[in-house]
Amino acid sequence: MKILTITFDLSLIDQYTLVITIAGYCIVLLALAIMAYFFTRLHTLQDFLTKRRLAVQNNASKEESPKVVMTGEENAAIAAALYLFFSELHDEEKYVMTIRKVSKTYSPWNSKIYGIWNTMKHW
Amino acid sequence: METLQTLFGLWEDTGFHNVSWENLIMILLGIFLVFLAIRYSYKPLLLIPLGMGVILGNIPFLHEAAYHPGIYQEGSVLNYLFFGVLKGIYPALIFLGLGAMTDLSPLISNPKLMLLGAAAQVGIFASFLGAMVFGFPMAESAAIAIIGGADGNTAIFLTSQLANGLHAAGSGMNIQNLIGPVAIAAYIYMSLVPVIQPPIMKLLTTKKERLIRMAPPRTVSKFEKILFPLLGLLLSTFVAPASLPLLGMFFFGNILKESGLTKQLATTASTILIDIVLILIGLTVGASTQADVFLKWESILIFVLGAIAFMVATAGGIIFAKVMNIFLKKENQINPLIGAAGVAAVPDSARIAHEMGMKEDPTNHLITHAMAPNIAGLIGSAITAGLLLGFLL
Repeated sequence: MKILTITFDLSLIDQYTLVITIAGYCIVLLALAIMAYFFTRLHTLQDFLTKRRLAVQNNASKEESPKVVMTGEENAAIAAALYLFFSELHDEEKYVMTIRKVSKTYSPWNSKIYGIWNTMKHW
Repeated sequence: METLQTLFGLWEDTGFHNVSWENLIMILLGIFLVFLAIRYSYKPLLLIPLGMGVILGNIPFLHEAAYHPGIYQEGSVLNYLFFGVLKGIYPALIFLGLGAMTDLSPLISNPKLMLLGAAAQVGIFASFLGAMVFGFPMAESAAIAIIGGADGNTAIFLTSQLANGLHAAGSGMNIQNLIGPVAIAAYIYMSLVPVIQPPIMKLLTTKKERLIRMAPPRTVSKFEKILFPLLGLLLSTFVAPASLPLLGMFFFGNILKESGLTKQLATTASTILIDIVLILIGLTVGASTQADVFLKWESILIFVLGAIAFMVATAGGIIFAKVMNIFLKKENQINPLIGAAGVAAVPDSARIAHEMGMKEDPTNHLITHAMAPNIAGLIGSAITAGLLLGFLL
């Protein structure tokens, strides 16, 4: 069959073409599948290592910190102190207005008597 | 008399004297591409330089003249700029920019979605067989087939190596210069993703499947983000060393981004550099479509085969997602719409999958999930290009 100058011939697909097609597709699929598998495993491994590290840290902190025994009175005192501290955050103000006198050192740089208009008057 | 001869010589030099109807058709095509880009905002960053390039490449001139304005004339400005296409420099630089701007977290958080990107490569291999049946030599068939990867840069890279009009096939058959037709077809299909993909997606999925809600992706550690480009580079280039210019640059760009220490370099690669290269690649590829090279019946066939490749690739990704669902637990099911994002049109096909999902359920956001097969498709199509180069060169 001819379409203008273009051939249509199924026999043009030879063995080499089929090898390229099938092998090529399988290789791409395999390459990405290996990457996918590796990163799935990597995440599992990372999870395991993180859990293990946390467990080791927890054990270490348990061993290092001395056992603290607190009585009920002490707990109540701490709670009362915290309550007072947080409830006093918006304490009443004194309502006293203070006016602070600001004294400035004299400087001729912004003095009006040395302004340009004053100088020009003499011309 | 001499004055008349000079004036006649001047007339012979002008485009009005040398114009042919083929030139005019190509100039109209260039104007149409610019119109598409400006009027409908279809990939303006690509289509405006491309369209202007088509116009530039088809301005008629006297071929025997002492000056050399044509892209195929040695020593001309356009010829020098075209060198970047012929040697595959521009696509590699674009991959560098892509790597520097791509966040691979969706891929790392759900690695099994990589398979969808691999599955979509079926379009390339199917149209490779199709092009062979239509009598194209093997090298040309591979160049046409890569349109199915839906990535213009990979298409230009492979075509510039296999079908640039300079190499001869093993059988002694002349290899045509297909850079122009293949690049234009690839870019046009990339910009027509919103038109081509949705009907196929709807046809191959049920409403129930389109409503599948995927588990949110997990957080990815910095260690994984750095390890992925390193391992990805090693594995992909060990499998297909010919894909090194593309994937080497892609993963290099990604390391620049993820290392956190080379922010300036990553920013330059993903902004200024990629913009410069886009201008040059668009313009020169467009200009390479001179009427005598482009206006052939084969070009129409290339467009048809490219469209088939693109559609088969879309279908391949969706069907593979459905097959995967058979083996996955209910809580890990994949919405098959994201399978269509396995083609390398980044990020358009991922966006289409997201929009299709939103139409069915406005609260179902698929974009993060769809980006994974989309990036995998980009990597997969570059590996495929490398393999085809390895087989055929």
